Amino acid sequence: MADKLRTQQQLEALQNKYIGTGHADTTKHEWTSNIARDSYASFQGHPPLLHYMSVGMGQGMERTRMHCMESMVLPCGPAPQTEE
Amino acid sequence: MANIQQTQAFYSLTLESSSAPTAAVTCNAIPGLKNQDQQIFEARGQRLYLHRIIESEGRTEVKVSTVVEQDAFGIIRGVTAFRIPGTPTDQLIVSSDSGRLTMLNYDHAKNSFKRVHLETFGKSGVRRTVPGQYLASDPRGRCCMLASAEKNKVVYIVNRNSEGAIMISSPHEANQWASLCFAVCALDTGWEHPIFAALEVNYTDSEGDPSGDMYEQREKLLVYYTVDLGLNHVVRSWSDSVDYTANMIFGVPGGQDGPSGVIVCCEDRIYYRHDKSNPLCIPIPRRRGPTEDPNRKRCIISHCLHLSKARHEFFFLVQTEDGDVFKLNLEMGEDAQGRKTAQPERMTLKYYETFPIAKQMLLIRKGYIYIAAENGNSKLYHVNDLAEDPEVEPENNFSSDDVSADPAADYTPTYFQPRGLTFTSLAHDVASQHPLMRTKVDNLTGEDAPQIYAIQGTGNRSVFKTIRHGLETQEIVSSPLGNVPFDNLWSLRHRSSDEFHSYLLLSSSYGDKTIVLSIGDEVETAEDTTFLTNRATVTAQQMGDATLVQVHARGVHSILESGAINEWPAPAHRTIVAASANSRQLLLGLSSSELAFFFMGDDGVLNQLEEMPEMSGKVTALSVGATPRGQQQAKFAVVGCDDCTIRVLSIELDSPLEPKSVQALSAIPTSIEVVSQVDPASGTAVSYVHIGLQSGLYLRALIDEVTGELGEVRTKFLGARATRLFPVDVAEQEAVLACSSRPWLGYNHPQSGLHTLTPLVIAGGQQELEAARPFASEHLKGLCAIQGQNLLIFGIPSIEGRLSREEVGLRYTPRGMARHPWAPVWYVVQSEGNALSQATKQGLLPSSSTTAAAAAADGDGTAMDEDSADPEELEKHLGLSRAPGHWASCIQAIDPIDRKAATSTVELEDNEAALCVAVVAFESRNWEVYLAVGTGQHLRPGVVGTTGAEPKGFVHIYKLVEEGRGMEFVHKTPFDAPIYAIMPFHGRLAVGVGNELFVYDLGIKALLRKSRGTVVPNMITSLESQGNRIICGDVSESVTYVVYKPKHNRMIGFVDDTIQRWTTATTMVDYETVAGGDKFGNLWVVRCPEQASKESDEEGIGGYIVNERSYLNGAPYRLELRSHFFTQDIPMSVQRTALVAGGQEVLFWAGLQGTLGMLAPFVSREDVEFFGQLESQMRAEDAPLAGRDHLMYRGYYVPVKGVIDGDLCERFLRLGVDQKRKIAAEVEREVREIERKVQEMRTRVAF
Repeated sequence: MADKLRTQQQLEALQNKYIGTGHADTTKHEWTSNIARDSYASFQGHPPLLHYMSVGMGQGMERTRMHCMESMVLPCGPAPQTEE
Repeated sequence: MANIQQTQAFYSLTLESSSAPTAAVTCNAIPGLKNQDQQIFEARGQRLYLHRIIESEGRTEVKVSTVVEQDAFGIIRGVTAFRIPGTPTDQLIVSSDSGRLTMLNYDHAKNSFKRVHLETFGKSGVRRTVPGQYLASDPRGRCCMLASAEKNKVVYIVNRNSEGAIMISSPHEANQWASLCFAVCALDTGWEHPIFAALEVNYTDSEGDPSGDMYEQREKLLVYYTVDLGLNHVVRSWSDSVDYTANMIFGVPGGQDGPSGVIVCCEDRIYYRHDKSNPLCIPIPRRRGPTEDPNRKRCIISHCLHLSKARHEFFFLVQTEDGDVFKLNLEMGEDAQGRKTAQPERMTLKYYETFPIAKQMLLIRKGYIYIAAENGNSKLYHVNDLAEDPEVEPENNFSSDDVSADPAADYTPTYFQPRGLTFTSLAHDVASQHPLMRTKVDNLTGEDAPQIYAIQGTGNRSVFKTIRHGLETQEIVSSPLGNVPFDNLWSLRHRSSDEFHSYLLLSSSYGDKTIVLSIGDEVETAEDTTFLTNRATVTAQQMGDATLVQVHARGVHSILESGAINEWPAPAHRTIVAASANSRQLLLGLSSSELAFFFMGDDGVLNQLEEMPEMSGKVTALSVGATPRGQQQAKFAVVGCDDCTIRVLSIELDSPLEPKSVQALSAIPTSIEVVSQVDPASGTAVSYVHIGLQSGLYLRALIDEVTGELGEVRTKFLGARATRLFPVDVAEQEAVLACSSRPWLGYNHPQSGLHTLTPLVIAGGQQELEAARPFASEHLKGLCAIQGQNLLIFGIPSIEGRLSREEVGLRYTPRGMARHPWAPVWYVVQSEGNALSQATKQGLLPSSSTTAAAAAADGDGTAMDEDSADPEELEKHLGLSRAPGHWASCIQAIDPIDRKAATSTVELEDNEAALCVAVVAFESRNWEVYLAVGTGQHLRPGVVGTTGAEPKGFVHIYKLVEEGRGMEFVHKTPFDAPIYAIMPFHGRLAVGVGNELFVYDLGIKALLRKSRGTVVPNMITSLESQGNRIICGDVSESVTYVVYKPKHNRMIGFVDDTIQRWTTATTMVDYETVAGGDKFGNLWVVRCPEQASKESDEEGIGGYIVNERSYLNGAPYRLELRSHFFTQDIPMSVQRTALVAGGQEVLFWAGLQGTLGMLAPFVSREDVEFFGQLESQMRAEDAPLAGRDHLMYRGYYVPVKGVIDGDLCERFLRLGVDQKRKIAAEVEREVREIERKVQEMRTRVAF
């Protein structure tokens, strides 16, 4: 039992430290949102990629960056209704 | 560590590094310079640069000169600089993908960056929660903050200990779960506790609410983080909600200088916020004009601060996304006694200038503004006026009076009229290559080396570029010499102490004559000299104090200062075939293979050495080195004979003409020069012998000062003609000009310190030079040369770059290019998103204007300008009129050779955007050549799943007329999806539409479909073919090999890839192999398995391949990965081509951010092994500057395979002697040998 508790605590510590560490009840929405946030962070973190997108979209890099940041707030729309 | 790779390996080299700035900051990093003389610390791609602004006297010429550049082998994300109190120079901080904070210093003695601290705070790589995205440093130099896009922030406190060493604290974290960080800046708090401000959005509530209401109510917070220096921790001290559209914040000077606080930039508005003051708000003025949308909102994209610490005055310059720069002032309130308080009362904005859109705008205290441009050339502007007088252009003053600081409140937008440069002037243009959309290496001019044709830029600043390897020259004078072909010239001083040249001797061996020109205010024929003019001159030299010596075939003619003439006749039946002289010594080679040696005494008379040693063969060339400074005589002469040898002889008076060493050559030497040049490693002058051979080779060898032995031989093939050498002075250093089929300059590169051989590009003329000499007169300093039948005087403005560029302006962002099959004409398709098309613009312009030109002028508002600038110029300066959802597009035929302009233009309408282009000869039309352009209509890049018209596609067909210079519209055919790839295929047209591949033939009214196949999973973005094999690049799923079966008219995909590669460029290296690049910055080479290749080419359709079952939902076979390499820059073009005359073929690639690079195949396994060893040693000995692991970096997405990083190997040349020795010992080679091998890898195939 103590082992199980320790595992649980370790998992919680991991979940606290690293965003996106899953748990037994991770929903599809949580998972896809997490992936999408990772992607958006990567788009703006790699300067050539941000540049590529900006040229393609015909706007400045700052606007594209804001677009990526803003999309991170709710990348896959609101969570679906949970059935109680 | 043996390399066990069994297949072809490549050597990756960067030819021209990325020019796109990621971040830049002003600093005072070089010790001993004035505070005013600020430097620019800039990150471009994976390199760090330190630039200085060099002004000539009177500021007539200003240039941005690079002091040091260094490859960091990591993704650099931000830079900042700060001064720790009590230290003499600024510390430079770099945030990169290494998960570490790098603190650098500029090491003046070694001219390099020195790492002071490297602090690890997280995982490597660009990740959502690893800090590094944002970097801010306290203006008083006490701490700095790094933040990530989500959650994490770390603060490092730095200070100086009593020994003067810089101490850095352990990281202090300030993490906030589920909070997104939009921007970070440091507040100026004077000497109180440092505060960092951040724009944050917390998404916990939005995510938890299924109804979406919480998302609608989300807030953006301005948060203060106070660094408590006493308690050594960071606390979240204040937060308040701001306008949700806020994207940027920056600190306002505090302490004695101002009120402190932050400027919050939002869409259409700028706020001043602080916890101790009332907020202020001012709308960002919008552009006025008939083609401007009055409701369009701009945001601020860059800013810079000017702070006068002496006067406690400051202002900001802020730039909108249109490029308009406003001056932002804060005015303080006054108390009852009329003294200024620390409460800001109003903000004012004044329209200042319009500059190119900046990634970073820097104000330099010397009076310059540096624009590190997002796209195109970075620029340096000289500030003539700070627009401090409110009376000047009063209509451009805006103030925050009567504007509510509540984000929800209404406000009236303000408008202004943009105009040309008024308060500043362009001082320097930094040649850049980003964004580089496509390149193609081709030889249109018949030069011996091919040129690189490139399309670059965005908007109306786009250009079509012709890039050549070479230094640009500036023609000063070019005058015809008549019909006699002259083959050599000499510029002479009258006395050795003269500063300028007085005579110019031109000799023609064909006409057996010499003409003498005098150099004064003008260069004109001199009649009254005593030079011999009825003979060809072998050499001429000013010797002794004031003796002029002219050597001709029959003797030596010397003119003493008194005017007396001494003639030394050549011995009977012998002529002089070669001669060389310095200020004391003269060496002649006679037709009898004998040498005659003279020494000039102080009386100016030549004394002959009696001994006349005979050489082993006929003397073809010889040289005595220039007299070393402060000495009477040079030590060695080098004599070349027609038995393909050169001999080093001592020419000192105590051992005259004593042979020292012999060296065999591959061909007859035609020209020899001994030049003393600075050895960059030791910094001392050493003698090099430069040898030009009849075969066009050029050799350079070091002469040992003691023994006269030759060593360290470097070879380079210059061209098809025999190489002739001329010592010259360029940029205050001794250099050698080697004339073959092109002139080449050998010099020590100012940044790398390496001896570099670069061709000269003679503008608009014949590239061949017969001879060249230094030329100095009172008015100009440069080189004089014989160019065909002209005398050319020219200068070399800069020896820093290695490429010369010619430009032809384009209208919109170029997307694709294709060449006419035989005429030197390129077709460039251009399209610009969110911009008004020409037709829409014409419709919006006032109808009162009669001519189109006047209409354009009105549209841009020049009508209001008294000094009515050229409307086209003004439009170019201000940029295109923007409108969301609109597309402007055109197709242009460009003639870069003769007309150097666009020869015809077709503007597209109906919101179409041209995307790709191909020149097709249709078999059904008797191989007549047509231009096919693939377009997209109503494109919405980056927008997913919205309503509105679905994007469609068209293929336009144009007939090419007037030798390809004109285009006639034939017809256009509609498609269901935008066309991104198009290719000629067996006299027909292959078109990629979505995931389908079609083959079309030309009909009368439309294209006629001949074949169809669904071959890729998503969308075809590139097409290549050889024979019946077509390579389709998919937008996200790498490449698929397709075989076309003409008899059965079927297209069968038979091989695809195991990795999802977001393909941007592909090329077929051979029938089986494809090289390509992807959006994440990888270069890869994949190969078809032999089995699959054989099956696909089986005759008929009954074969195995058709019935082969699909494997894991893909093609039946999978490609083998041969090489993989992370370049960081996104490859936009890959091409197999040779780059230099006589060079082997390489894989040349060009990246979006302006990188030009190549993968050179290794020829021998020993080389692979050697460079593999060297690379791994270099990784250990010269670990990347920013702390990224090199192997991890090059294997960022996929482990690096089959590629050795030449850029890292070349770092070897810049190491210190001890490190070089250590590595040399490890790889069991000599240091010199490694250096030679590393340099030859580059010079053999590229530049």
